[in-house]
Amino acid sequence: MKLFRLIAGATAAAAALALLPVVAAQPGAAQGPVFDPPMLVTSAGQSPDVQLAVVLAKRAGIETKLAKLAAAKDLEGAGTLGLVVGASLKGLGAAGLDTAKEKARVQALLAEAARRKIPVLFLHLGGEQRRGELTDAMVAEYLPAARMAVIVKSADGDGLFSKICWARGIPLVAVEKTAEAAEVLKSAFKPKA
Amino acid sequence: MKTSRTSLLTAAGLLVLGAAAAFLAGRSFLSMRAAEAIHPAPGLTRQALLSDYFPALAGTPGDTDVYVFEGPEAGGTVLVTGGAHPNEPAGFIAAVVLVENLRALRGRVVVIPRANASGFTCNDPQEANPQRFTVPSRSGPRQFRLGSRLSNPVHQWPDPTLYENPAGQMLSASEVRNLNRCYPGRPRGYLTERTAFGIMEVIRRERVDLGIDLHESAPEYPVINAIVFHDDSAELAALAQMSLQDEGLDFRLEASPQNLRGLSHREWGDAAGIKALLIETPNPVQGRLKGRTTAALVVEGKDKAYLKAARLGRLFVPYDEKGIPLEERVARHLAAISAILRSQAEVDPAKAVEVEGLPGRAGILEDGLGPFLR
Repeated sequence: MKLFRLIAGATAAAAALALLPVVAAQPGAAQGPVFDPPMLVTSAGQSPDVQLAVVLAKRAGIETKLAKLAAAKDLEGAGTLGLVVGASLKGLGAAGLDTAKEKARVQALLAEAARRKIPVLFLHLGGEQRRGELTDAMVAEYLPAARMAVIVKSADGDGLFSKICWARGIPLVAVEKTAEAAEVLKSAFKPKA
Repeated sequence: MKTSRTSLLTAAGLLVLGAAAAFLAGRSFLSMRAAEAIHPAPGLTRQALLSDYFPALAGTPGDTDVYVFEGPEAGGTVLVTGGAHPNEPAGFIAAVVLVENLRALRGRVVVIPRANASGFTCNDPQEANPQRFTVPSRSGPRQFRLGSRLSNPVHQWPDPTLYENPAGQMLSASEVRNLNRCYPGRPRGYLTERTAFGIMEVIRRERVDLGIDLHESAPEYPVINAIVFHDDSAELAALAQMSLQDEGLDFRLEASPQNLRGLSHREWGDAAGIKALLIETPNPVQGRLKGRTTAALVVEGKDKAYLKAARLGRLFVPYDEKGIPLEERVARHLAAISAILRSQAEVDPAKAVEVEGLPGRAGILEDGLGPFLR
């Protein structure tokens, strides 16, 4: 009986794990407008993908302020913190940062956002190409702080994002193409008062 | 006595053979100075030389053709340069395809296919690269030169010990012959600096709004299948990247580092205030991991060593048995140019540039480059 329960439990767990990426990545997982404008967009990792977020927000009609190296004071007046995650050694080098400094900056920003009760919109827009050891570490560290996550589906081939979102109850929207994220952002933001 | 005479005959024979080999090699080397013909499309409205914009280049190996396509409606002006690095053939051929097919409907397109003409007159020493490669065309096979990344050393000898480029960055000696480290150029500098200055003069005098510099990089180099953008062109690059993704073409975005000076995507923006983008496609004849470099490799892009490197996860682009043929890389360049022009129309409608005759990617992949070369 004990053995039967063990096998049944293991089978159920395996089935749930196998379904994880599908369930968590369902666009339906998003829940209506949850974010307030304006959105402070910053990078975690200094990849150029932050520019994609600005264009998408513009297309979605969301008031946005870009600060690639945003500090706690930049959160003044922001309704949402848009964190565009993607590590670029070239970008970090050009900004005069190393990994430790960038992590310290982002951690401080997230802590200040939490203190001010500003929700975090997690964005990973570079797809599979923008994965890697450093990016993955940032995803693992920052995604749990998000109110919602929007990613390009090709980045989640191994379920990195969907597993974290599933475990933390974070709505995750995975789009096939980056441009589709504009509509997702549009529906995730409350209209400007 | 007999032995002595035999030795003399042997020595004389060897000298004759050596002289013949030197003559043939020299003739072969000098043959690269003959530029391949480019046959402009009927839509060409004006052809000039770089020296028309900067007379100091007249009669020098840095002078090169400039093709202008002007549409009937007012709009923006876009500059497209190929051949800044003549060992990156897809950028050069894409620019040639533009010249041989383009018609402007709105605004103007200025094309410089051999931006570093001096670099086309030799190939890279110690690389055992072929001097030419053959591409089919409507009039039969056409040969194009596979030049050097750098200007011909004969044209600006010697290199300095260290090179401080016009933007103030210290570089290694040979970079003094790298056009894409010499912007914004020096009017009385080395030949390559004067060439860069001439191109800046084109930008100023033609009132260029947007510059696109076509390049290639080795499959093992991370900045590949990429759009490199100046800070002021970020939105344009992002829109173009998304547009290309809609077509099934993945391009990564790369910001032009502010501390990397002398490059087109930095200095065209900083010194001339235009939107500046650089396109990179993968070039299998350029890297260190490749096997034997042949004319077939230039055109077909198939290499066993790269296949092995791809299997070991050492490349930054997908690479399989099909290789990365020239036509696919040219098609990527042209698709990127189209996407950038569409994005320019969205970002700045008053400076939109509309063209026709630009071959589509599907057409090139289906029919090859032949139908698009005169």
